[in-house]
This record gives sequence, C-alpha cells and structure tokens, in this order.
Amino acid sequence: MTFIPLFVVLPLLGAFIISFVGKYKKCFSDIFTNIITLTLAFLSFYSIFLLNTKSSLYIYKVGGWAPPFGISLVLDGLSVFMLVTVNILAFLITLFCINYMEKFTSKFRFYTLFLLMLAGMNGIIITADIFNLFVFLEIASVASYALVAYGIESEELEASFKYMMMGSLASLFILLSIAFLYSYASTLNMADLAQVLKEKGVNKVVTFAFVLFLVGFGLKAAIVPFHAWLPDAHPSAPAPISAALSGVLIKVLGIYSLIRISTIIGINKLFSNTLMFLGGLSIIVGVLLAIGQMDLKRLLAYHSISQVGYIILGLGIGTPLGVSGGLFHLFNHSIFKSLLFLNSGAIEYTIGTRNLDQMGGLREKMPITSATCLIASMSISGIPPFNGFFSKLLIVLACIKSGYIGYGIVAVIGSILTLSSFMKVQRYAFFGSLSKKSQEAKEVPSFMKLAMLILAIICSVGGLLIFKDIGNYFIKPAQEIIVK
Amino acid sequence: MRMGNIFIFDYLSKLVGFFIVLFTLLIFIYSLNFIKTKKKEYYYWMFLTFLSSLGVVFSNHLFLITIFWGYLGLTLFMLINLYSDQNKASVAKKTFIIVGGSDGFLLFGILLYIYLTSRYFIVEKPLVINSALSFLSFFLIALACFAKAGCIPLHTWIPEMAEVTEAPTVAYLPASLDKLLGIYLLVRLIKDAFILDDFSKAILLILGSLTIIAAVMMALVQHNIKKLLGYHAVSQVGYMVLGLGCSTVLGLAAGLFHMLNNAIYKSCLFLGVGNVQKQSGSVEFENLSGLGKFMPATFLFVLIASLSISGIPPFNGFVSKWMVYQGLVELFKLSTSFTLKLVILFSLVSALVGSSLTLASFLKLNAGVFLGQPKEKTKEASFTLLISPFILSLLCIIFGIFAFHTILPFIAKAIGEFSTSGLWRPMQATNLIILGILLGFIIFIITSKKRRTSPIFIGGEKIDFQTEAKVSDFYVNIRELKVLKNIYRLAEKKFFDIYEQTKNLSFIFIKFLRYLHNGVLPTYLVWCLLGALWLFFIFFR
Repeated sequence: MTFIPLFVVLPLLGAFIISFVGKYKKCFSDIFTNIITLTLAFLSFYSIFLLNTKSSLYIYKVGGWAPPFGISLVLDGLSVFMLVTVNILAFLITLFCINYMEKFTSKFRFYTLFLLMLAGMNGIIITADIFNLFVFLEIASVASYALVAYGIESEELEASFKYMMMGSLASLFILLSIAFLYSYASTLNMADLAQVLKEKGVNKVVTFAFVLFLVGFGLKAAIVPFHAWLPDAHPSAPAPISAALSGVLIKVLGIYSLIRISTIIGINKLFSNTLMFLGGLSIIVGVLLAIGQMDLKRLLAYHSISQVGYIILGLGIGTPLGVSGGLFHLFNHSIFKSLLFLNSGAIEYTIGTRNLDQMGGLREKMPITSATCLIASMSISGIPPFNGFFSKLLIVLACIKSGYIGYGIVAVIGSILTLSSFMKVQRYAFFGSLSKKSQEAKEVPSFMKLAMLILAIICSVGGLLIFKDIGNYFIKPAQEIIVK
Repeated sequence: MRMGNIFIFDYLSKLVGFFIVLFTLLIFIYSLNFIKTKKKEYYYWMFLTFLSSLGVVFSNHLFLITIFWGYLGLTLFMLINLYSDQNKASVAKKTFIIVGGSDGFLLFGILLYIYLTSRYFIVEKPLVINSALSFLSFFLIALACFAKAGCIPLHTWIPEMAEVTEAPTVAYLPASLDKLLGIYLLVRLIKDAFILDDFSKAILLILGSLTIIAAVMMALVQHNIKKLLGYHAVSQVGYMVLGLGCSTVLGLAAGLFHMLNNAIYKSCLFLGVGNVQKQSGSVEFENLSGLGKFMPATFLFVLIASLSISGIPPFNGFVSKWMVYQGLVELFKLSTSFTLKLVILFSLVSALVGSSLTLASFLKLNAGVFLGQPKEKTKEASFTLLISPFILSLLCIIFGIFAFHTILPFIAKAIGEFSTSGLWRPMQATNLIILGILLGFIIFIITSKKRRTSPIFIGGEKIDFQTEAKVSDFYVNIRELKVLKNIYRLAEKKFFDIYEQTKNLSFIFIKFLRYLHNGVLPTYLVWCLLGALWLFFIFFR
C-alpha cells in the first residue's frame, strides 16, 4: 500500500512548511494543520476499511529494500487501531486549538511542534523496525518536552525539565535494551527478530533486555512506580496538549510499544503477572492521589495514571477477553480523558483558573462545557451507558473468568473512587452557587464547542463497540495480533 | 439471543411496572403546579428516570439490568441538582457516590454470578448459596439493592437528600421508584436467582431489624419534617427486608406488599409536606403550628398516611406489617438452627418496637404541624396539588380494607399462593372500628351541652408563639436519656455513616501518598531505580 508513509510524511511536511510560512499569514497555520489532521483521520478510517475488506496485512518497503535489511512500514490490525485513535484525536485537538491557542503568541510554532509530535507517534505505530521505533519515539518525546514548556512560566519550565530528565532516562533504557537485542539477534526488523528469538530461544540476555524495556516503556506510560513526572508535566502544558499527552502520547510511547515488543519476545506467565500487579497498583495509587487534588488538571493527570492501570491490567490478563477489554479501554480513555482536558481548557479559557475552589455554578453559564464534562465524567467513572462502563465491564469480567477475583475487586474499588473524585469535580466546578469568578463566565467559541461535542458523542455511542458486529472491525483485529 | 430471553414479562414485572407508571403519573400531576421554573430539564430527567426504571423491571439479561440501574443514579443526581446551590450540590455528590458506587458492587456481584453459573439471565435456574463466592455474589447485588432502597449500611443519602430536595423529586425517587426497584430486584434475586442458606437469611434479618430501629430512633429527634420523613423512608425498608429475609412465599409477598404500601403512603406524606412547604414556606417544626385549620384537606391526607405508616388498622400499613410478622413466625416454625431462631426473635421484637416508635414520631408530626395554636394565616394548597395526595390516601384505605380483594391476588400471582395463619378480617374489623368511632361521636354530641370552651389563661400574660409549649419539645427528652445521649452524639458526628468513615480512611492513605510525592526530582529518580531493581529481582530470581 503506497499511502502508508503518508502517516509520517504529511505531518512532517506540514511542520516544515508551517515553520516557514506560518509567521507571515496568521490563519494559514490553523487551516493547514486542520487539513492535515483531517486527511490523516480519513486515511486511518480508510485503512480500517482496507484491512477488513482485502488483505489483513500491508507492508511498505522504504526505498525498495527487502524486509530484513531495509526499514519497512506495516499496517496490521493493531497499528490501524492505534492510528485511528491517534488521528481522530489529533484532528479534534487541532480543531479545539483554533480558538484556544489565540491567547498564546506565535501560534505557528505550536502547530509545528504539534505536527512533529504527531509524526513521531504515527511513525512509532507503523514502523516495523525497532531502532526506527526508537527514533520516532525520540521525535515525539522531544516535541512533547517543548510543548510542555510552551507557556515558558517558571512552573512550566520546571515541569518540562523534570519530564525531560525522566523521559531521557526512559529513552536510555530503551536504547540500551535495543542494543542488547541487536547484539544477540543481529537483526532489527521486528518480524525477523521474532523469528530469530524463536529459533535461538529466550535466554538471560533477552530477559535482561526485556526488563529494561519494561522500565523504559513503564516510564513513558507512567505506570506506578515510574509515574512521578506525569502529574507535573501534563497539567503544565496548554490544555489541548495535555489532552494529546494524556490521551494518546503515553499510550503510543508506552503501552503500544510495550505491546509490540512483548509480541516479539513472547508473553509468559511471569510477565503477565507483573503487568497485572503494576496495573492494579497504578489503579489504586493514581486514583487515591487524584481524590485529594483541587487543581483540576492535576486531578485529571493523576486519573491518567489510574486509567492506564486498567489498560495494563486488561492486557496483563492475556486472555482474548482481557486484551480486548484493555484495548477497548485504551480507545475509550483517550476519548474521555482528552475531552476532560479540553473541558478544563474551556474553563481556564473563560474564567482563567483551574483551581476547583474558585469555580462553581458554571452549569448556568457554560451549558455545553458542563454537559460534555458530565458525559466524560460519567464515562471515566464507568457509569452506564457511556463507553467507559463497557470496557471496565470487559476487564472485570476477564479478571473474574481467569480466576483473579482480587484484581477484579481492585478494579471495582478503583472505579468507585474514580466516581467520587469526579463527583467532586462536578460539585465544585459546575453545580452549587455561582462563585465570584464564574459570574462573568460565558460559553467558549464555536470550534472549541464543536470539538468537545464530537468527543462527547463518541463517549455516548462508543459503548456500541462492545457488540460483536461493530467491534469485530475495530478491536478484534488488534486483539488477534496480540493473542492468537 | 431471542427477544423473549432478554426481556421478561411475568406477573412480578408487570405488577411493579404498573406501579411505576402509576407513581409517575401521580407525581407528574403534582409537579404540574409545583415545578415552576426549569420545567424542560425537570421533565426530561423525570422521563428518563421513568424509562430506565421500566427498563430495569422488564429486563432479564443481567447486563441490561446493570445498565438501566446504573443510569438511574445519574438521573437522580441531576434531579437533586435541578436548582443547585452549595447544599444541594454536596448532597447530590454524596448521593451519587453511594448509589453509583453500589452499582460497582452490583456489577461485580453479577459478574461473579455469571462466572459461577455461566448464565446471563436472572430468571433461569437458581444458584444455591453454598460457598463464599456465591454468598459474596448475592451479598454484593443485595448491597446495591440496599443502596437504592435505603437500608443499612448504605442508607445515609436518603435523609440528607430528603431534607434539601423539592418534595416531588423526593416523592418520586427515594420514596417510590427507588423502593420499587430496589425491592423488586431483591425479590427477583431471592425468588428466581438464588436459594438462600440460613446464614444469608440471618444477615438479611439482622440488617433489616437494625434498619428499623436505628432509623426510627433518628427520626424521633429530627427538627425538619422532610428529614424526619427521610429517616422513616429508611426505617420502613427494614420491614421489607425482614419479609424478604424469610425467603418464604409469604415473606416475599409481605415484603413486596409492604414496599408497595410504603411507596403509596410515603409519597403521599412527602407530597403533603410539599404542600405545607409551598404554602407556609417552612418545613422546620419550630416555625409551624396549627395548620390543620387552614389546610384541612392536606391535614386529612397526611393523617391517613401517617396512620398507615404507623401500622394502625384498618389502613394498608397494618396489613402488610401483619403479614411480615406472620412470615417471621412461619420461618421460626420452619427453621431448625438455634441461631436463626434467636435472630428471628430479635427481628420480631425490633419490628414491634419500631412500629410503636413510628407512631410516636408521627404523633409529633401531625400534632406539631397541624394542631395547636396557629402562628399565621395560610391558605390551602391549590386543587392540582391535592389530587395526587388524595388518590394516594384513598389507596391507603382501599389496600387496607379490601386488601384481600384488590391487591393481594395480584401479589399471589406474582410470587405464588400463600396463606396467612392468623385471623385478620379487615372488613369486619373496619365495621367495628367505624361503629366505635360513631359511638364516640354520639357520646360527644350528647355531652356537648355540658362542656364549655374558654381561651387559655396563663395569669393574664399574652401567649406568643415563642413561649408556647411545642409538641416537638417533648421529644427532646429522648435525646437526653442517659444511654442514648452518647449514641445520638456520635450519630450527629456521622460516626455511623459508612460514607464518612470510608472517606476518612482513604484520606489516611492519601496523606501518606502525598508525603511521598514531594515534587523533588531526585526522589522520583530513586523510585524509578527501586522499581527497576524490583523488576530485575523478580525476573532473575
């Protein structure tokens, strides 16, 4: 398929052009970025269609080199699943940015960085070469360090510094383990690597490399105890970037890469158990830390840790049901968490604070923001019939069916605590009487509303993916890549 | 999956479904004149509540039940928050955390049930409770029912919610629909999905009796009428749970019947109090007195409902309580274990004591609000506000006197045939009661010439509202009793509120976690190192 490289080339090209032209024509970067992200979203949908009607695997050889020697780009069930998730969100986030980023200067630099990050993420997803994966991972990471510091206040710079330190640590771990694997198997192509490891067997070197991967990707995915950078970094970025970071970046850089690597090396019992334990730990620690927060974005950031825990738990169970639940939750979480961050952005945009104490009664003033935030809160707390309920249902069912009753209880308790934390958000921000600051609040401009509304609609109907007829096109192919 | 499997239309569903429609209709009529602003929003959420309630009742697939059930939490939350202020927002938050949190239990219980039986339908083959897991499954689903209906330990949202929310909303959700649904699901569980062992019966009976006593004791000392009614809304659930705990046909029928009765008189009471609030602007005992003169119709309806809830024959509350007692006695005869017998005795005693305490607290309500010296002139509520209470109080009488001819045959069809061993003929008894009242009235008329009335004289001083002895003051003594004083003090500090206790407990953990997250980069790097070392240890052990 010849269009596969477009997922990387388009945003990269866009970043390049905008950095030159954007300075002179203000609205150019708005329009151009949105066209690119929209095209990418269509392309990703088109690839679902292709995958389900024709072949279930597409390979593109870069420069015409045959697979073990050259770099190849691959479109399979899992990568299409991720591409759709990433590119829908990228489009909606850029749509939101049109109005939101008005309050920052030099908007075009922002778009350049954003497209660079998008190119990195798409690259990670479609590449079939582990060193290439590392390169794209660094592109996305470096762009995200800059985006976190975009406000260049002291708080943002500090957060970006911490994020960069931890992020580079993670990159080093990953690079080291790629080196180990390469020295052992003498190949970097993923399919080839899997073949070689199968023939030569898994020995201590591979296990060592694997643990390094786990630490590195654990850091990128913010799994407890490697999570500490996230609550600083995500709230400091501008709201749409927080949405992109929490919504897709940690999943692509952390979870997706980890899944890819583990399908190469092979999943054993010990690995599954470790993942489940880390997942359970993240669920509880993340949500407990979130409960006490009064800073809305920080609260949301802690919830990202907790929700990533659910995804890891589902994937760790390793049964088809559990993996489907984990992937489904990955998709759902990227939708509702982005929506929540966009909501926090909308509030900050209109009343200039993200402190819950200073909000109140916003429902009267901002009906769309309030309604969409309610839907997202219900989704993340697992209230039916919103999408989060169904993925949590699958995960808990998978826990129980595999006999891990304890983890099931952890998931349910996490869900109850999540509910109580989001009830707090609703109570302080949208209900109750009007606070001083929210007196002069008014509803946000139309593009921001549109982005939030589309996300809220996906939250409301996303539960339909649980039905076999619909989920078979989207989640099942991805799940079959992980568990055959 | 065939449609016939996913949904269920047996007599039990139809009976409860009928009452859902009835209550929705009555509350709708009442709301027409009560809800003046934000009408669109109110009716929107009310309609959604109605639809999802019907969904719960007519679903057979367990997931479908969970989905409808969970959605009701959201509609309740939005209805409480209709005219949001700080108070309501807090109460709504607490309510949704308890109700929505219990949905988590429901989900887990249902998934355990599916795991144990590999069946996805509630009406199929029942599961015998014989292991820890099967008990856990039953208990978790029952907890969700408790939270919805308002039984200890998840009842604490009801009194607080009743205090701050508009009367029709309280009458609609916690007083009628939530009871209907909570008890419906519990009946369904015991009737079709589980076969209870002695232990689970005993647990239900103990929780039921505790609910009756604790809630009625709290109701006695309330200053706010709506909060008082809220506590009674909890207390009455105890009787239903007692009936269901018997898990015999008679017990189930008694529980179901009492639930229907309770929904009738409790919503009548809330609507009546709503009229009082609308006309006089207050629901605090200290501001109200002598309203009976100005609001005779409301007074009459509230009185009938009060007598019903206190279990005075020949009203409906008496019949269903009578059946609950019968059920307990029957279980006592059937049971072989000594502990269970002891528990049954305890429940019988608490049911009786609770009944008399209920009467005491409703004396306080009726005497305090409607009798005594009037404070200021008020008007009777408008006609549309009186229709629903009128119909409800009429139902109280009909289901009392003609219980065996109207409602009980339907309950028998829904649950199964049952027979009561005791002798209670409501029609004859009613005739005797009416005869007695007539006799008294005749004596009153004959002797009326010899009586004279004169205004109250207290040494020439003018009586003002502040100095007058109020009915509610008598009940202050209860709070001062030596044994109860400390318990009440703890209850006021929300010591027995499982919500507050859990909150405190989780804040201990949070404090510790906060302490670890000090924002210093080297600390975080140390964690990463420790985490990595731990992972190496696991994989290279």
